[in-house]
Amino acid sequence: MTAERETAARLPGDPGMWVFVLGDLAFFSAYFVIFMVHRGREPELFAAAQRHLSPAVAVATTLLLLTGSWLIALAVQASRAGEHRRALRLTAGTLLTGVLFMLVKAGEWAWEASHGRTFASGDFFMFYYLLTGVHLFHMLLGLVVLGVVLRELRAPGLRRTAVVETGATYWHMVDLLWIVIFVLVYLMR
Amino acid sequence: MSGAAAARTAADASGGRRRGGAVDLWICWWVLPVFYVLFGLIFVLLARVIPPPRPDRSPEEVAAFFHDHAATIRIGFAALMVVIGFTGVANGLVAHQMKRMAVSPVFAYAYIAALAVGALPGCLMAAFCFLAAVFRPGRDPHVLALLYDIGLLTFVGSLGCFTTQYLVLALAILLDRRRIFPTWMAYVCVWQIVTELLAAPVFVFKDGPLAWDGSISFYMGTVIFGIYEVCIIVLLFKAVRDQPPGEPVQD
Amino acid sequence: MNGTPGARTTRVWAALCAVTVLSWRLGTERTAGAAVTVAVLAIALVKARFVVRCFMEVQDAPAWLRRLTDVWLAALWTALVVLYLV
Repeated sequence: MTAERETAARLPGDPGMWVFVLGDLAFFSAYFVIFMVHRGREPELFAAAQRHLSPAVAVATTLLLLTGSWLIALAVQASRAGEHRRALRLTAGTLLTGVLFMLVKAGEWAWEASHGRTFASGDFFMFYYLLTGVHLFHMLLGLVVLGVVLRELRAPGLRRTAVVETGATYWHMVDLLWIVIFVLVYLMR
Repeated sequence: MSGAAAARTAADASGGRRRGGAVDLWICWWVLPVFYVLFGLIFVLLARVIPPPRPDRSPEEVAAFFHDHAATIRIGFAALMVVIGFTGVANGLVAHQMKRMAVSPVFAYAYIAALAVGALPGCLMAAFCFLAAVFRPGRDPHVLALLYDIGLLTFVGSLGCFTTQYLVLALAILLDRRRIFPTWMAYVCVWQIVTELLAAPVFVFKDGPLAWDGSISFYMGTVIFGIYEVCIIVLLFKAVRDQPPGEPVQD
Repeated sequence: MNGTPGARTTRVWAALCAVTVLSWRLGTERTAGAAVTVAVLAIALVKARFVVRCFMEVQDAPAWLRRLTDVWLAALWTALVVLYLV
């Protein structure tokens, strides 16, 4: 079977989702800049507070999200090739990475909170909970989006590739945002 | 006979309930740009609630604030009392479009109900608190500080009703096969939900980006609200323009 | 493009994971200073661009989107580095 190369430039999935993604990237960029401005005013305090976090846990969650992106990218390719069962399994895999991410994040929050580091424990932890919290909300929406993709792939009358592409685009955005949060919150010295 | 004329005649025959020509809808549509311009003028220039004054003021500073701005607060918020009813028309028009969507009318009811509840904390309480504060000069600064806090906390922090409003609108748009509104508008509603949630911390912080005058809780929220309003006004314009006259709408 | 699309995607994923671990080791060095953080930020930029271009398939998207995402990446990262160093 000859593989068809897409020679024409195309926007994968629903164009409305790209509006959402680009807008969200802009809003998160504003949060990141605001974070850096506040950090610049008291860098020692931020660095000291940051030492309480575990970069190892953050690396694990980053790897989880990268794996999820990989699986959903493969799912899009499978859907294009008409391999619906494979696309379904891959999407389920992505959903699993998302659930694991949320569990780890919840555990991390519980750990920090139980050691007295809450939302109101100074600027660094305010931003920590803020950035990871807004991201977590988007992750939750992502699970709903993946649920929609799964439903689409299971229904014999549907299985539109565009739906899988739209879901994948959203998921990659969640991954992309985390890449920045990972650096700013956990690794920046 | 043309299709539109036939539809109109049929509608007239059924008691004239669904007249064509959409003049009624255009009157409703015009309420939106007029009201929101007035809203902006009132809240920004007159009442000084956008941008909000700072949460970290002492009672004496609050007393001075009310003393300095008493005249414009009175004019602005009294004017608001006259025009606030227009939001009912605006929301009715959105709800009408939601009823045209291929989803249950429950979404439209929820939209109206959420906003009916939200109007009081969303802007009326701020108005009444500030009006009461400037009603009698020489009030105790601590009483003034309390009115200041109630007014501004409700204005920025009344998020639950509006979160529901955006949620039902987003769901209705995404589930609607008729595409009365484009899907991207649902995502704009999601942005609004996020900004509403980001307003929750105003009950905790008196300064910084998450205070009621904060870069995130207030300013970003207001910018995104502005984007939302422009989008909804434009989309309503298109929806009303393209709506077939005499089209039956579910109850 | 060598190999199937799936093979390329998998290679990108493996590289992103490896580079994540690398930036973690770098970033948690006890002697980490400004240079290391800038390096870690640079690595993040490369990761981000790969996610945008390869996973999000922007490399096959219309030119305006390719340019827009590059402009966004450049603008954000410039802001982050400048705010970090100043």
